[in-house]
Amino acid sequence: CTDDLDTTPTDDDTTSAEQFLDSPEAYKQLLAGIYANFALPGQTNAVTSSITGIDAGSGVFTRALWYMQELSADAAIWSYENDPGVAGIQRNTWTDSNSFVLGMWSRMAQSVAFANDFLRQTEGVTSSEVPEIASFRAEARFLRSLAYYYFIDLYGKAPFVDENSAVDPTFQPPQAERQQLFDFIESEVQAFMGDLPDAGQNEYGRADKGAAMMLLAKLYLNAEVYLGTPRYDDCVSICNDIIATGAYSLNPVYAHNFTGDNYLSQELIFTFISDATSSQSYGGMTIILNGEVGNLENNSAAIGVGGFGGALRMKAQHSAIINTAASGDRNTIISANRPANVTDIADRTTGYVVEKFTNNTSTGEPSASNLFADTDFPLFRYADVYLMYAEAVERGATIGGASKTQAADYINELRVRANAPQITINDLSLDFILDERVRELFWEGHRRQDLIRFDKYTGGTFNWDWKGNSRTGTAISNNLRVYPIPAQSIGTNPNLKQNQGY
Amino acid sequence: TVTEKATGTPLPGASVVVKGTTNGTQTDFDGNYIINANTGDILVFSYVGFKTIELSVNTNVINVSLEDDLNKLDEVVVIGYGSTTVRDATGSVTAVTSEDFNQGNMVTAENLLNGRTAGVTVNTSGAPGSGSTIRIRGGASLSANNSPLIVIDGLPITNDTAGGSRSILASINPNDIESFSILKDASASAIYGSRASNGVIIITTKKGKSSLRVNYDVTTGYNTVADRIDVFSADEFRNQINQRQPLIANELGSANTDWQDEIFETQFSVNHSISASGSLFGAIPARLSVGYNRQPGTLKTSNFERATYSLALNPSLFDEHLRINLNANYSREDNRFAGAGNIGAALRFDPTQPVLDPSNPFGGFFQYIDGNGNRRANAPTNPVANLLQVRNFGNVDRFYGRAEFDYKLHFFPDMRAVVQLGYDKSNGEGTNITDPISINGFNANTGIGDPQQNNNSAFESIRENTQLNAYLVYNKEVGNLGLEITGGYDYQKFVRSDFGTNNLNAFNPTEPDNAEAIDVVLASFFGRANFDIANKYLLTLTYRRDGSSRFTDDFRWGNFPAAAFAWKINEEGFLKDSQTVSNLKLRLGWGITGQQDINAGSLVNAFQSTLGLSSNVAQYVFGVTPIVTALPNYRNPLLKWEETTQYNAGIDFGLFDQRLSGSIDVFRKESKDLLVNSPVADGANFSNSGAQNIGKLSSEGIELTVEGDVVRNDNFNWNLSFNTTFLNREIDQLPLGADINVGGRAGGTGGTIQVWREGENPSSFFVYKQLYDTAGEPIEGAFQDLDGNGIINASDRYIKGNADAFATMGLRSTNTYKNFDFSFTLRASLGNEVYNNVSSANAYYSLLNGNGFPSNVPTTVTTTNFINQNSQIINSDIYVEDGSFLKMDNINLGYTFNELANTEASLRVWTGVQNVFIISDYSGLDPEIPSGNGIDGAIYPRPRTFLLGANLSF
Repeated sequence: CTDDLDTTPTDDDTTSAEQFLDSPEAYKQLLAGIYANFALPGQTNAVTSSITGIDAGSGVFTRALWYMQELSADAAIWSYENDPGVAGIQRNTWTDSNSFVLGMWSRMAQSVAFANDFLRQTEGVTSSEVPEIASFRAEARFLRSLAYYYFIDLYGKAPFVDENSAVDPTFQPPQAERQQLFDFIESEVQAFMGDLPDAGQNEYGRADKGAAMMLLAKLYLNAEVYLGTPRYDDCVSICNDIIATGAYSLNPVYAHNFTGDNYLSQELIFTFISDATSSQSYGGMTIILNGEVGNLENNSAAIGVGGFGGALRMKAQHSAIINTAASGDRNTIISANRPANVTDIADRTTGYVVEKFTNNTSTGEPSASNLFADTDFPLFRYADVYLMYAEAVERGATIGGASKTQAADYINELRVRANAPQITINDLSLDFILDERVRELFWEGHRRQDLIRFDKYTGGTFNWDWKGNSRTGTAISNNLRVYPIPAQSIGTNPNLKQNQGY
Repeated sequence: TVTEKATGTPLPGASVVVKGTTNGTQTDFDGNYIINANTGDILVFSYVGFKTIELSVNTNVINVSLEDDLNKLDEVVVIGYGSTTVRDATGSVTAVTSEDFNQGNMVTAENLLNGRTAGVTVNTSGAPGSGSTIRIRGGASLSANNSPLIVIDGLPITNDTAGGSRSILASINPNDIESFSILKDASASAIYGSRASNGVIIITTKKGKSSLRVNYDVTTGYNTVADRIDVFSADEFRNQINQRQPLIANELGSANTDWQDEIFETQFSVNHSISASGSLFGAIPARLSVGYNRQPGTLKTSNFERATYSLALNPSLFDEHLRINLNANYSREDNRFAGAGNIGAALRFDPTQPVLDPSNPFGGFFQYIDGNGNRRANAPTNPVANLLQVRNFGNVDRFYGRAEFDYKLHFFPDMRAVVQLGYDKSNGEGTNITDPISINGFNANTGIGDPQQNNNSAFESIRENTQLNAYLVYNKEVGNLGLEITGGYDYQKFVRSDFGTNNLNAFNPTEPDNAEAIDVVLASFFGRANFDIANKYLLTLTYRRDGSSRFTDDFRWGNFPAAAFAWKINEEGFLKDSQTVSNLKLRLGWGITGQQDINAGSLVNAFQSTLGLSSNVAQYVFGVTPIVTALPNYRNPLLKWEETTQYNAGIDFGLFDQRLSGSIDVFRKESKDLLVNSPVADGANFSNSGAQNIGKLSSEGIELTVEGDVVRNDNFNWNLSFNTTFLNREIDQLPLGADINVGGRAGGTGGTIQVWREGENPSSFFVYKQLYDTAGEPIEGAFQDLDGNGIINASDRYIKGNADAFATMGLRSTNTYKNFDFSFTLRASLGNEVYNNVSSANAYYSLLNGNGFPSNVPTTVTTTNFINQNSQIINSDIYVEDGSFLKMDNINLGYTFNELANTEASLRVWTGVQNVFIISDYSGLDPEIPSGNGIDGAIYPRPRTFLLGANLSF
């Protein structure tokens, strides 16, 4: 009877890879898993996470990214500081034991591990067996590169694993620094680009050449920060390539990029999807939507969700940039009955609320849920290509006839679409572009990265409410430009060396 | 007639002699006798094993009931795959028999022994029929199962209940239980090998008897909620809102509602049990029992009903060579579950609002609505409506039983062969339905009664447990040496599946899902040798080899040896004839046991390389098509058992013919290779943590039990029994030596209040050190900068106490005076800390404004005067309180009418109170936290029950 000890899974939701990968559709499910790991906490439901050390919703990539890019800067305040980790992020007092610092790091490393496993499982699979296999593998490599890009941006280093690494709880991956990761992504994108469908030609939600180019453009734009070496010409060049595909166009209505049916918008280059019935999470979009419902405004119907009673407000320094005529339709701030400054983080009546995103469709129809988002998270948006172009030019790019005139034209395209006054070439300056980025892209997860690139994040040249844990803001140390390596991650992997100053 | 006192059974063959003469006779088959004697003569009634009684003759009919004279030391103690006597036990084994059981409204079996035994704690919530956290010597594990193995008549069961059931022991009628044996140390429990690290509780059910006895037992209870969590009354609340939150004062109502009064109610419970035992066809001793128990909970709508049927057949064949024990039980459990979350909601709901509002569209309950009759955003919902408009039913049919064949070989009577077959299957099913017009059915976009918003789902659940074991026992006495050798094989298989629908009101294109857990199979070989040398020295050697399907081939088999030695000092020459010392025994034990119960009910074995498929709500959309995703699961092919080595030294003593007896045990347990869900290097696997065998935990303690007859005479007896346990647990090693935050608490998402740290107790509270002003008032948000780096952050947390008691005590007092009996039990716990999560998550003034609606807070806020809360304040040490307590669990008074209407029938009527009082400094409701982790969320209060009962036996 001891043979009975060899049990095998009997549940149809659990299977060995060999059994499962009998069918070609299975590869698509495996690929979808890697995508899902950027949008969901796990495979069970909205409150069950595949990583530990952080609350399930907080550990969703889009939410952790949003907190680490927006809450940590002048963009937003989260009212409920009894959520672990929040106070550290939005007061710039995070430590290596902050749960978001850990959650993001672990989530990204897990995405890399999933992509690696996909590449192992699909090694040698031919297109006659699985017609789309070349694109599948390229997409997995894109997602792996995307994860490493966020390691570069947020932490400056990563545990390096690829498809040749061991899967073993005792294996300790080596550490890779920014240069190595940057080179890896650059060479990877060049290698897999040819296998991706052309821009706009893949199924919605999946990566195509446009998404891969956008990733490179972001890397090049920030190369001076990451490596100390400017790559603005490369940035302009790749922006030109994206524009030249003709696959993207500005949505005639700015707001339709942020509705429950924003998958219809030709402006979104790459998104992480939300679905109120089949893909539920407390990730970035659910949090932003519910957070937008103010405790005084009773604006549930407009946002299309019940709301969390005033969870999110904008800090005064951010709303001051947006709450002007220069924003046009892009100004979705509600300021009535509220002071602009967040004088008290727990007092949800201070600081303006925002109605940028809605769970209703572009025609005002409600979604299937009063809680979970239908709205997709716009990770890469075409408008950003114009702004990156303009910034790279302003920073000295000259390649291929890059010109300030073109830059101003691009920005005016954004402004005309938003019914905002147009600018002239003389208005262009780095400070102007930084502010225009806020007006166009606020609350889309870019702010911390932008401020660092303009040298306004650390130090005291630009202060905001609660910066450095001070009501009116105070200077913070330069080492805060990257987050610390999580204590738990160093504990499990001595190859990792803590960032300077932590 | 001469009868047996304990059971009323007639005693055939008892001797009746006129004192001082040879004039005597014996009772016949029915216990009757006839003797010629004169008035004034003294008759001597005697029977082997019973106390002799002398009575003077004054009437023609003298009925006598003889009391059994079995010395307690001769009581049979069931151990794994066999039995022994108290006198000959070598391990730390405690038997609790029916006469020692707690009395009162005992719904679940484990409560019969709560507080009765040193080293055993039983912690039950107030919900009717709910399960208990049972710990023997504190448990040996960190994140694997810490509950003892429970064995019912030789069949080990799991703690894994079928959906719809309250707990694994909820379907057993406590009246069917004959005794418990608690195997505490490894030398006793190692015969159960890989499942024995947390001790073993063996439950033996009642068997058939040859003479006809009928017993009817009824208990009725009046269940009340003794205490409430203090919140502001309606008028106090109005003042608070007007003063502190004037902006929302316009939301105040004019009612005066105590929401806790509204959600709790007093309830009558009833428990009937009837049993009959006798000889079927004059040959087969049999027992049949039927029980019915109805326990409405004190939280409105919660209810527990149970019907049990039990049949035992115990025939002997071939001149007693083949003994057969057949036991079949069926039980039906019907539950209605009330959302315990409504207790917390009732604390918070505005006391100035009424319960009912006939004009309210959501079923006539008060709810927050706007001018159009729509639900207002962010508004709290009426907890009474939440209870009454939700019906969550679950019922479970359970069959369990076993067949045991115990054959003494005809040609070799020194050898017995025993075969046992066991089976236990539960079928649970239930529905969760919300009234369509309840506020939950409101959708801002579609209005009232949106079927998508309402819960209407059903589930089914199956648990199956099959066992076969067979063993041989060889028994021989050669001169001074007694020898018993046992060896056998045991096979057990657990099957589990669950089926649940999605919301049946909402069309869903995908099918509901059936979750089939991977089967768990255990196969074992075991052996035991007992040596008895000169009736002075006892030696027990045990060995078990266990295989578990939970581990890979390389780590599948574990070996679990144990040895115990006992020296019956009182049998030595210098004590043998002592009039004072009736028993003195030294016991030494050592053994290794294991723990393999990781991720119970998991769909996967972590050692296997598997893929998981996502649920319907965790798909990913490509284009417009949701796709069920597939991802590799965390894997660890190196997983193996936890291993616990335990040392035990004990002394049993008895004085004055056992009038005073007791035992002292000292033990130390060391667990290694703990199965801890702990971090792994990022990127190396498919999660940032997973099950690994890393870590060490040790516990040590002292147990003391004393029992004595304080007064013993014809009319008045007073027996006291007392036990106490001193226990200390400590984590010796963690993965990489790193702290692990544990102990999830309410208030914010994902917060924890406890820590696992090397050198500390595993239930240690991890808090900030509150600062106080010169007046001694706490300063909100001010904490001591323990690491002195100028900022207050996570590295300023320190450990303040833990949830373990350093000492627990139990005391039982029993008096009989003539036909009266009186008893009470007391239980104490000293040094356990409690984290008051009710206060920490709710007691701050800004919470008076709950999303724009006036909301109540506990009045403990007036002791801190905190305005706000954040992730540091909520972890302040001000919320960690001393939870030491003294409780009176039961007090009972009974009167027995013997020889009713001149028959052998007897009737006992009794009355009592359960959960009589709690003495504690703790500011919350009850410092005894059901989960055992010391974190007090709003607990389901344990009812104070006034009891009236009767027991008729004939």
